[in-house]
Amino acid sequence: MKNLKVTTGILAIAFVTLTTLSCKENKKENDNDNEHHSEMSTDEDHSKMNHDNSDGHHDEETTHDNSDGHHDEEATHDNSDGHHDKDNADETIDARDIKMSTEKNAATTPIIDAYFQIKNALVTDSKGNAAQGGTALLAAFSKFDMKTLTGETHKEYMEIAESAIEHAEHIVKSPLDHQREHFEVLSTDINDLIALIGTEKTIYQDFCPMASNGKGAIWLSETKEIKNPYMGSKMSTCGNIQQQIN
Amino acid sequence: MKVVKKVGIILLIAFVGIQFIPTKRNQSDVVPITDIHVIYNVPKQVETIFKTSCYDCHSNNTSYPWYNKIQPVAWLLENHIDEGKSELNFNEFGDYSGRRQKSKLKSIASQIRDNEMPLSSYTIIHQDAKLSEKERELVIQWVDKTIENL
Repeated sequence: MKNLKVTTGILAIAFVTLTTLSCKENKKENDNDNEHHSEMSTDEDHSKMNHDNSDGHHDEETTHDNSDGHHDEEATHDNSDGHHDKDNADETIDARDIKMSTEKNAATTPIIDAYFQIKNALVTDSKGNAAQGGTALLAAFSKFDMKTLTGETHKEYMEIAESAIEHAEHIVKSPLDHQREHFEVLSTDINDLIALIGTEKTIYQDFCPMASNGKGAIWLSETKEIKNPYMGSKMSTCGNIQQQIN
Repeated sequence: MKVVKKVGIILLIAFVGIQFIPTKRNQSDVVPITDIHVIYNVPKQVETIFKTSCYDCHSNNTSYPWYNKIQPVAWLLENHIDEGKSELNFNEFGDYSGRRQKSKLKSIASQIRDNEMPLSSYTIIHQDAKLSEKERELVIQWVDKTIENL
């Protein structure tokens, strides 16, 4: 009788210990999620504030760009000595020349719009909005009509889509810093998708030399104004335009 | 007292009962030609790190701990391994497209750099799987170099 009780007790303790050990990681993840949920509301306010701020700076910023021609200079510099370009190719996952396809393809628009949704959320440090953008991107890929693609183009599209979908899934479920890591590779995927099958939109390819632990990374933007998604809202104007399509 | 005895007996029966539920075991002797060390030039040291610290959950061959014979541990491990393999499988690295290989390599480096992998719940039991600063540096350097040459 006493033995049974003791045995049951030991079994129960062993059971609980093993279960807690194995579940520790899950629990930690949940905790993180909760933290981020509570942050979300403030994030949203924050993003609104930032918006106002950046709008205020907007005119200044553009005239600045035009007047000193800094970006243009930068671009010619890149092209002329070829050194910087080579570095970028080495440092980032070598993104293809975005101007490779001149086709005005409207089919890619939902994918690119969802990508911009993620990008703009990351500019304002909003994990929740980035996750929503990830969901939108998944939907856009599932609705994309591949029937028009043939042969090699179809094969390449499949590889790009497979990778992009994987990163979108992670953006949906990850904390902010991981979202940014996945966004970095996602940017190359979307860039290459545009190089492959084209877009009707006007798109800027921007470069941030500080992203990816100082290795540098590209991102795509719908606005000429620099809004950096990698470095957080405090450094959102860091970076330069490398290319423009349409 | 009677209640305690009853509950105890029920628990015991349940515990014994679930031991008979089979689980899928992640074990294989073959090193497939798609393994990362076949398709890339992985230095011996890095390969050893991968094998001791990653392969239990990220390959087709797990070296199971003794308590994996006991349920419900076996279930939990099975889920862990399934999830781990779907994220990254070193044995099937060659099956990924070139694009995904690059992206997986990047993730390996960033997970190790951020101390996310190997999981702390895993290293608590597998002390030998813990990575020293030097080992982490070794893996990250190798990954960075490999990505550059791709």
